[in-house]
Amino acid sequence: MVTLAIAKQTLDDMLRRKVLLILLIVTVGMIAIGPSVSFLSPRESSSILRSLGLAMIMIGGLLITILSSIQVIPTEIERRTIYTVLSKPVQRYEFVLGKFLGGLFTVFVMIAAMGVVFLGVLWYQEKHLAAEMVKGVMLTFFQMMLLGAMAIFFSTFLTPVVNFFVTFAIFIVGNLSSVTESLTNNPNPATKIMANIIHFVLPNFGNFNIQNKLINPTVEISNENVFIMQNIVYALIYSAVLLILAILVFDKREV
Amino acid sequence: MSVATRRKLIMALAPLFLLTILIQHIMDPKIAEIHKGEHTVFSGLSNEFILGPMLGLSQAVAGLLWIRADEFFDSGDYDAILPLVRMVTWLDPHEIDVYITGAWHMSYNFTDSDQRGDRRYIPAAQKLLEEGYENNPTVYDIPFEIGWESSDKMKNYIRAEKWFRIATTLKSQDSSGHATKSAPIFVWHQLAHSLEHQGRIKEALAVWQQALAISNAKLKLNPKDFSTRNLRDTEEHNWEINLKRLYSRYTHEINFAIDRKMTKSFNPQTGQPYPDDAYIFTKGPDAGKPRPAATSNPWNCAFNCHPVFIQPKVLMPNGQFNVGNGARVTIELFDYDWHPEKLTHFTFDIDESQTIMWDQHSVINGKWGRKIDMSRDPTMYSFSRPYYWLVFYFDPRQTSPFIQDKFGWSGEGMTDKHYLWTVKSPIPGAPPDRILQKVYKISRAQVLGLEPITEKDVVPNAVFAKQEGEVFP
Amino acid sequence: MPAAVSIQGLTKKYLDVFNKSEITAVDNLEIDVEEGEIFGFLGRNGAGKTTTIKMLLGLIFPTSGTATVLGHPLGDTATKTQTSYLPENPYFYENMTGWDVMDFYAKLFHISEPVRSKRVKECLEDVHLDPKAWQRPLHGYSKGMLQRIGIAQALINDPKLLFLDEPTSGLDPIAHSELREIIVNVGKKGKTVFLSSHQLPDVELVCSRVAIIHQGKLLTTGTINDLTAGEKVEIRAEGKLNGALEKIKSMADIVEVNDTHIRIPSADERNVTDILDIIRSAKATIIAVMPHRRTLEEVFVDTVLKEGGI
Ligand SMILES: Nc1ncnc2c1ncn2[C@@H]1O[C@H](COP(=O)(O)OP(=O)(O)O)[C@@H](O)[C@H]1O
Ligand SMILES: [Mg+2]
Repeated sequence: MVTLAIAKQTLDDMLRRKVLLILLIVTVGMIAIGPSVSFLSPRESSSILRSLGLAMIMIGGLLITILSSIQVIPTEIERRTIYTVLSKPVQRYEFVLGKFLGGLFTVFVMIAAMGVVFLGVLWYQEKHLAAEMVKGVMLTFFQMMLLGAMAIFFSTFLTPVVNFFVTFAIFIVGNLSSVTESLTNNPNPATKIMANIIHFVLPNFGNFNIQNKLINPTVEISNENVFIMQNIVYALIYSAVLLILAILVFDKREV
Repeated sequence: MSVATRRKLIMALAPLFLLTILIQHIMDPKIAEIHKGEHTVFSGLSNEFILGPMLGLSQAVAGLLWIRADEFFDSGDYDAILPLVRMVTWLDPHEIDVYITGAWHMSYNFTDSDQRGDRRYIPAAQKLLEEGYENNPTVYDIPFEIGWESSDKMKNYIRAEKWFRIATTLKSQDSSGHATKSAPIFVWHQLAHSLEHQGRIKEALAVWQQALAISNAKLKLNPKDFSTRNLRDTEEHNWEINLKRLYSRYTHEINFAIDRKMTKSFNPQTGQPYPDDAYIFTKGPDAGKPRPAATSNPWNCAFNCHPVFIQPKVLMPNGQFNVGNGARVTIELFDYDWHPEKLTHFTFDIDESQTIMWDQHSVINGKWGRKIDMSRDPTMYSFSRPYYWLVFYFDPRQTSPFIQDKFGWSGEGMTDKHYLWTVKSPIPGAPPDRILQKVYKISRAQVLGLEPITEKDVVPNAVFAKQEGEVFP
Repeated sequence: MPAAVSIQGLTKKYLDVFNKSEITAVDNLEIDVEEGEIFGFLGRNGAGKTTTIKMLLGLIFPTSGTATVLGHPLGDTATKTQTSYLPENPYFYENMTGWDVMDFYAKLFHISEPVRSKRVKECLEDVHLDPKAWQRPLHGYSKGMLQRIGIAQALINDPKLLFLDEPTSGLDPIAHSELREIIVNVGKKGKTVFLSSHQLPDVELVCSRVAIIHQGKLLTTGTINDLTAGEKVEIRAEGKLNGALEKIKSMADIVEVNDTHIRIPSADERNVTDILDIIRSAKATIIAVMPHRRTLEEVFVDTVLKEGGI
């Protein structure tokens, strides 16, 4: 209950931030003007509409996640609001989880809002519900959950600026999972070891990129739902690992 | 937090982390499958796009690049398009229209001042399409395009047939983009035509029958489908006309049984029962008798030409050919050592030093050959080699049916004193093609008009074929 | 009665990253705070008051030494249901309304509805926050109003022990005295208050006992009475002293004689008996013997000066 109270308070606080609101308006606006790109063949404009829409949701989600997750805990410390919370019967892990969940709820609300606009635009454009896209939006959400957990973990011991660069860099490297995967078979042993470390130790954000399949319905993935479930389980477990680490660090942290 | 709780949490980390590695390991093959054919492109992307692929937004970047390519199409900035095609298909190897548009652009949009295509791009265009097919092996579109360009551009009907056949086995996309429907019926039509162009008429007839069966089945489900009805009528007509031609060109008879079944009983203009007008003499001494097979009347073609470079790089073929108006003679001038690039992968960088000129001229009143001016396009016709092949040929399989009526699909009725040449088909049981061909080997000096072209430069077809066999294995 | 707070040898050292040296913010502190008292924790800026309180609340961890709060060891969450904290210059979630922020804090104490709303209302009333402001976001609040919210949130769980860190700093005189009143009222309800301050008049008015720390070290501790009680005594008498006057003058610095009225404003405690004996033997009447009271400020300055501070 304490965790949820903190999460809800965080969500309320986030939703009142103008930066996030502006971000939401901009991305939603970009998604909505997508249909104006319709001078190509129907197949092309449909795939461009989809890929740009999913990209906007991903970029919007990325910025919202980074802005919220990197800041939540440091802001509490910097503004000393954390004193009034941690001096009450609140366990530190409850605080970390509450802040994480609050950020996650924020991201969820934002991504859901963008997703609804996106589906609406597709509906308006193609006169049928592009239910497949929900999978993409959903995976983006889980990708952002993992990213948020990582940002929270780093925020327990890094300053926001350093955290921003570290998180962003890992996100980029993690997005190249298909590259790192192919490098794990590299004949050069040094490359191979490095690739294996990067591939299996860093979170693989690229796992969640199935736009390829969603934009081009002719690309079939066998057992697609199983794959999506594996992705979600991966995100959940990896996030749990990061949150445990965050809790362990934060528990020893002086505020 | 108590020390015990801390210890428990730390202990939980290892198994959880191992679990993520395990899941990753399970997912890896699927990830490789999803991203098959994708290339990570960083270099060559402009700044505003560079971050996209790094964030896993390859498809979106591909889309934006393709929008830009569209602007270049509008502005006619054709050279800028090919690199974009390369980028886009690397970033998103499932943009079928990009492969097709890119290949079409290479095959058709690069021309000289007289709109003759730059055939140096054809191998690359075909390679691009093949790459597209590898990355999208379930949809018919790209194989169909390969077939189409093989037929229309390369006049390679064997290659066309191979790819049209592949296309018939594949799917087309429904309105939601899923490859669920069978390939459209026009793929079968083109397959049949590619067989007709090889003189394999019985096989072509069989394909028309297949197409008919498909269309009829469709009509049964939806009798009011007018476009299918039209297609069905086309198929019926093509089947019938091929059948008629098969009999009228090669035999004395007409298969009345088939013909009656296929057509109405009476011709509304003559009041005669079908078929009458095409096959039975209605006037003259042979009135009432079936017309003899077209190919049974040897047709003297009297094919020849006396090419002259009237100015440097300006060729006048000066050809003659005893055939009806509209037959088209092909003129090729290309490097002595030219061979179609054996490309292992697609590249849009062509060998600029190559020269290949390809043109077709219609026969008018027994004469053919216009001025071919290659002097205005030095980048396309660099003439940087010492020797060239100059080839003039007529292939009956490339010509229109009313001309084929004189001597059959494969030139069976053609005779010529000098230039008749038989090309064997590699397909077992397929008829050979009898073409008319005159080949010169000329020097750069001759191209530049410094020395005249004489009959001494003529190379026997057998010698050329041997040479060609070496360069076109 | 067990001590509300018992500090034993508490020490906190910070690493000064720039000078690669250690700062001892709190140095081997020993303090006991009894239940029910309003305890003044005095020290100049940087003396180590906030550091001490944060250690007591488990926000930071001591380098050495221990303490118990309400009988529990440091960091015990059970303690926190009965304590509360008003941080120095507190800052609250400024986008939330006064009511919402109180509601949020109440939830952290697992107080559920309908009790929660009642508690929030009571606390806001206790601190005399204008009800019109309850539903306004905190970013529109004045410093005084925010400080009231601060106290109110410290009362929400009806705590046995309150830690108030410089609650009056930065307030205007009226807000200042109102706040003092609120603290006194809290004390009247039998709660223990651990009040850190460098505003001595406040402490003097509300606290029963104080400790003075300087550079992390405890200098002195005691009741206000004990500390302000001086070593000088004022003596007044009536009568003629004649020759005795010289004797008295040798024992006290100032002796004022006005006709028959004698005033010795600051006699040394040790000489008082002797002086009184001389007066009596001179047959003069002793009107008053008044021990000298210092202000807390004087005590503080003296104590810190003795330590070589200031
Ligand atoms: N996090 C910290 N790192 C280093 N030094 C600190 C830190 N916090 C406080 N100090 C130092 O400890 C001393 C005591 O500070 P503080 O407890 O805030 O004093 P007070 O509350 O009495 O004004 C000061 O010298 C201060 O600079
Ligand atoms: Mg302080």
